[in-house]
Amino acid sequence: MIRRISPATLNVRSEPAWLRILLIAVSVSFIVVMLVLPLISVFTEALAKGFAPYLATIADSDALAAIRLTLLVAVIAVPLNLVFGLCAAWAVAKFDFRGKSLLITLIDLPFSVSPVISGLIYVLLFGARGWLGPVLDEYGIKIIFTVTGLVLATIFVTFPFIARELIPLMLEQGSEEEEAAISLGAGGLQTFLRVTLPNVAWGLLYGVLLCNARAMGEFGAVSVVSGHIRGKTNTVPLHVEILYNEYDFVGAFAVASLLALLALVTLVCKSLLEWKFGDRLAGGAKH
Amino acid sequence: MSINLTGITKTFGSYQALRGVSLQIEKGQFLALLGPSGSGKTTLLRILAGLDFPDSGHLIFDGADVQHISARDRRVGFVFQHYALFRHMTVAENIAFGLKVRPRGERPNKSVIADRVNELLRLVQLEQFGGRYPTQLSGGQRQRIALARALAIEPKVLLLDEPFGALDAKVRKDLRRWLRQLHDEMGLTSIFVTHDQEEALELADHIAVMSEGRIEQIGTPDQVYHNPATPFVFEFLGHANRLTCRIVNGKAAIGDVEMAAQLPGDSKPGDGVAFVRPHDIALQPPGTSQALPSRIRYMFTAGPGVRVELERLDNGEILIADLAHEQVQKGGFEIGQPVAAQLTQITVFPAR
Repeated sequence: MIRRISPATLNVRSEPAWLRILLIAVSVSFIVVMLVLPLISVFTEALAKGFAPYLATIADSDALAAIRLTLLVAVIAVPLNLVFGLCAAWAVAKFDFRGKSLLITLIDLPFSVSPVISGLIYVLLFGARGWLGPVLDEYGIKIIFTVTGLVLATIFVTFPFIARELIPLMLEQGSEEEEAAISLGAGGLQTFLRVTLPNVAWGLLYGVLLCNARAMGEFGAVSVVSGHIRGKTNTVPLHVEILYNEYDFVGAFAVASLLALLALVTLVCKSLLEWKFGDRLAGGAKH
Repeated sequence: MSINLTGITKTFGSYQALRGVSLQIEKGQFLALLGPSGSGKTTLLRILAGLDFPDSGHLIFDGADVQHISARDRRVGFVFQHYALFRHMTVAENIAFGLKVRPRGERPNKSVIADRVNELLRLVQLEQFGGRYPTQLSGGQRQRIALARALAIEPKVLLLDEPFGALDAKVRKDLRRWLRQLHDEMGLTSIFVTHDQEEALELADHIAVMSEGRIEQIGTPDQVYHNPATPFVFEFLGHANRLTCRIVNGKAAIGDVEMAAQLPGDSKPGDGVAFVRPHDIALQPPGTSQALPSRIRYMFTAGPGVRVELERLDNGEILIADLAHEQVQKGGFEIGQPVAAQLTQITVFPAR
């Protein structure tokens, strides 16, 4: 059989029009149903009774405490993971050492473990009946049901984000530019600040945004170690659950809308930065 | 700067990259490290730059031991095969890098750096490109910027790793000529790595031929081409016909024909390997004495000449000969015709 290519699409890769339309329709409708509609419903439910109740829920002292706590946890966890991610990515990409592939596998662990388990690990370790619990108790250190526990659980769950973002980028870039910098007389710190860091700036920023979004939105692991003490160890996602369970739908969705807003702001930030510095970073990898 | 290397060895895991390399480079030399991939030439270059460190041996620059001096302080200009330009910096920022990272006391002020950058951009003929990013340049332009960046620190020696490897043939030829000129004008001492014998012969004033972590021969292009010290050098520099022979009566016996040849020093009788360049074969009428009876198996135009594939009638081995067009026309040679192959220049090494 002779296959004819329609003259309008003189291109071997061009698929028939119906297939193209079908593929586009499937992906667009999937995104609309699974992503856009739920997002819209969050805001409509939150504003179902108007602006005043919406603001009142958010201004509630427990809600404000939850917001403060969530910000606090993120402010501690994200920078720590930033440092860890950079170290791990640098070690993996620029050096050869024993156990390198094991390290890469371990970095992925939090992705493959259910967050609930991540939380349980800490309870088993530091809880009153955990391995280290009694010892810590003697020194008056409490981890479970405190902010410390929340921070630890959040770090555990979010640490792959930055490292995962940087490792492939740094591996692809190799170390020739660093070698060039050194042969031109740059020291270790100069090389890192002027060559390594700017080269991964994009990936790093993206990783930080993702890590931050996840740190603020984490539910499972945090839920296990939190103890749900209102005004004390309740983060925003936990607060949403409590409100929901109390049939305060407007309240639940109002607080949830804050998290949704965070996601949207993250997305906008990333796009803005890409748009503004796109030319400058055209040589580097983009997302 | 003069460079003196003695007994350099380097092992990566179980792989021995350098097996005792000694080399002397005089100030102003343009040296090619020539060899196939895996011969250790790039490792040697990186050791000179301080990007790798030898397991043993001595490394002396201008009489001073630099073994334990870091790459940072060696004042060596290194040009990478894939340029390694800083991708997030403009061309001008790339060139200025080596000056900007100097310690405060030694750092030239901004206007001096800007002048120097402009001067180098002029030198590499890319004056209008200072504000571009590396991705906006062609391969040849990037290579010239990499060179300008290396020259900015006024290096005592310029090291180039396969400098033309990633460029197309035309650009490569132009850049070669330009680099040679630059080397002479600036009075540089330069060392470059290549696997391309033509490039080494054209560009360098000295060639070190490397194989399996050792230097096989060092000499001027003329010496290594016309007086190769080992079979490897002979075969690596240009096409070569390899024939088994016996060394008899101070001559080379190939098949049943005894021929005058350049013999190894002791020329003891025994088995040998004879090498003949394709342009050292002349075609004579069949029956000519002192020549190998052969048949023309195939011939085709190869650039300025004609390449002829000859099949020896005695053992069926193939010889490649390069002839001028006029010779072929005058002799009226055709495919299938019997001829006698006269070997005008034979180099013999003892069989190993």
